[in-house]
Amino acid sequence: MFRDTKAALVFILPAFVFIGLFKIWPIVLSFGESFTFTSITGAKTFVGLENYGYLFTEDPVFWGSVKTTVLYSLMINPLTVAAALGLALLFNRKARYTGFFRTLSFLPSAISMSVVAVVWGIILDPYYGLANSMLRMVGLAPQPFLTSSTQALMCLAAISLWRSAGYWMMFFLAGLQGIPHEIYEAADIDGASGLQKTFRITLPLLTRTTSFVLVANTAFNFLTFAPVYILTKGGPRGSTNLLMYESFKSAFVNLDIGRATAISSILLVIILLIAVVELRLTRASFDY
Amino acid sequence: MNSAGHKRQNRGVSRLGTVFLLCVLTVVALVYLIPLCWTVASALRPASSLYEYANPLTWRTFVPDRVTLANLQNIFVNLGFGRALANSFIVAVASIVLGVAVNSMAGFALAKFQFPGKGLLFFMVLITFMVPFEAIVIPLYLVVSRLGIINSYYALILPAVGNGLAIFLFKQFFEEVPSELLEAARVDGASWMRIFWGIVMPLSMPVVVSVVVMLFMFQWNALFWPLVAAHSSQYQMVQVAVATHVTAEEAHWANLFSSALAASLPPMLLFLFLQKYYVRGISNTGFK
Repeated sequence: MFRDTKAALVFILPAFVFIGLFKIWPIVLSFGESFTFTSITGAKTFVGLENYGYLFTEDPVFWGSVKTTVLYSLMINPLTVAAALGLALLFNRKARYTGFFRTLSFLPSAISMSVVAVVWGIILDPYYGLANSMLRMVGLAPQPFLTSSTQALMCLAAISLWRSAGYWMMFFLAGLQGIPHEIYEAADIDGASGLQKTFRITLPLLTRTTSFVLVANTAFNFLTFAPVYILTKGGPRGSTNLLMYESFKSAFVNLDIGRATAISSILLVIILLIAVVELRLTRASFDY
Repeated sequence: MNSAGHKRQNRGVSRLGTVFLLCVLTVVALVYLIPLCWTVASALRPASSLYEYANPLTWRTFVPDRVTLANLQNIFVNLGFGRALANSFIVAVASIVLGVAVNSMAGFALAKFQFPGKGLLFFMVLITFMVPFEAIVIPLYLVVSRLGIINSYYALILPAVGNGLAIFLFKQFFEEVPSELLEAARVDGASWMRIFWGIVMPLSMPVVVSVVVMLFMFQWNALFWPLVAAHSSQYQMVQVAVATHVTAEEAHWANLFSSALAASLPPMLLFLFLQKYYVRGISNTGFK
C-alpha cells in the first residue's frame, strides 16, 4: 500500500465524478423529487409525504402493481434458482458434451432481453405461434398465452427463465468448483451413492452460493421492464403491470414525476436492502 | 472436476441413469435450440412464406428451403436499421474507451493506495454495482435533463462510464500485481501515471478484455435507458429499433425476425470468441 494521497485522488477522481453524477445523484434526487408535486406548467411544490400517502391509501393501480410484482417474484426466483442449479449439476462434469451445452444454455444471456422478448412473443402468438403448433401436434388445445390475463404473467416468467437460467448457472458452476475433492473421495470410501453425495454434500455446501444467486436474481427481477414494455404493456387487464413499468408509465406517459419518483424510491429502498444482504453474503468467505 | 472420486461416480451410473440423462439433455437442447433456430431460419426465408411453416411443425420450420437476404436488406434500406446499429456501435465504443480508462484508474487507487475516505468510496463502488441500472433510470432521466444533455450521444454514453463492477474487477486484479515492481519503477523516477499506463495496464489485458466485453454487452443490449434518454430517431439505438417493430400497428414477422437477428449477431459473435472473459467477469463478482 502506497501512502500518496494526492496521486490516489488523481486516479480515483474521474470515476467518482461519473459515479457521483450518474449513480449517487439520481439516488438522492429520487427521494427529493418524491416529496414534490409538479404541475402541468412545470411549477414544483413541496408536498411532503403526500405522494406516498396517496400511493399507499388510495391508489388501486399501484397496489395492483405491487401484487403483480410480488407474485412475479414468487414465481420467477425459485424457478430460476432451481433451473440454474439443475443445469450446473448436469454440466459440472468432464464429458465431451458439457462444453457445448454450457455454451448453449448460457448463450441467451448474451442476447438482449428485448430480442428474447420479441422472439418469444412470436413463439407464443396464439394463432401462428410455434407453442400452439406443438400443443396441436400432441393433441392439446391451443392456449391464449400473452393475451390471457391468467397466463400472461406466467409467460413472462417463462421467457425470463429461458434467458437467465444459464447466466446464474455460471455462479453455481463456480461454487461447485470450490468444493474440495477430498470430501467426495471420503464419501466414496464410505460407499455413498451419487444421489446421496448430491443431497448430503453438494447441496449443503452450495447454500451460500444459492442464497447469493437467489438474492441477486431477486434484485434483477424486481426491475423487469423490457418484456412488459415489448409484449404486454402491463395488460391484459393489468395482469403484467410490474412496478418498473408502472413507474415508467407514470413518468413518461402520465407525466406525473412525483408519483413516478415515489415508486422509484420505494423500489430503490427495496433494492438497497437487498444489496445490503447481498454484500453480507459476498463478503463472507467460504468455510468448509 | 476430474478427481478420481468423480470418475468412479460416473462409472457407477446405471444404464437407466444414462437413458434418463440423455432425455434430460435432449430436452435442454430443444428448449434452447428451437427459438434460436427458428429465429435464424425465419429471418432468412421469404417474408411471404413465414406463416406457412409455423403450423404444422416439420423440419422445414427450422431449416429454410429458400434462403434470401431480402428481409435483412429491407430493414436496412427501408427501415433505417443501419442507423440504429451505427448508433449502438458509437455509444458502445465510446463507453468502453472511457469506461476502461476511468474505472481502471479508480481500481488502481483502491488496490494500491492508502488514503482517507477509501472505505467510504469502496462502499459506494459496491453499492453502485449491486443496485441494478434500471432502478435509477427515472431519477437519472431528471439528472440528465438538468444537465441539458438529454437526447444526445452524451446522454447515452456518460451514465454508463462509471461502473462499480468494472472498478471492482480492476481492483481485484491489480491487487495481484506485485508492489515491489511499482516501488522499483518509482525509485527509477517514473510518475504514477507512467507506471500505471506503462507497466500495470499492459500486464492487465485479461481483465481489460473482461471489462470491454461487459461494457459492450451492457450498452448493446440496453433498452430502458435509450428509450427514455434519446427519443429522436437520430439517436435511436438498436434495441429500441427492435422494440419499435413490435409496437408498430401491424407486427411484421419478417422485420421482427431479421432485426432480432441483426441485433443479436454482434453480441453473440463477441460472446462466442471471448466467452472465457465474459464468464470470468461474472464469476469474479460474487466470490473470492
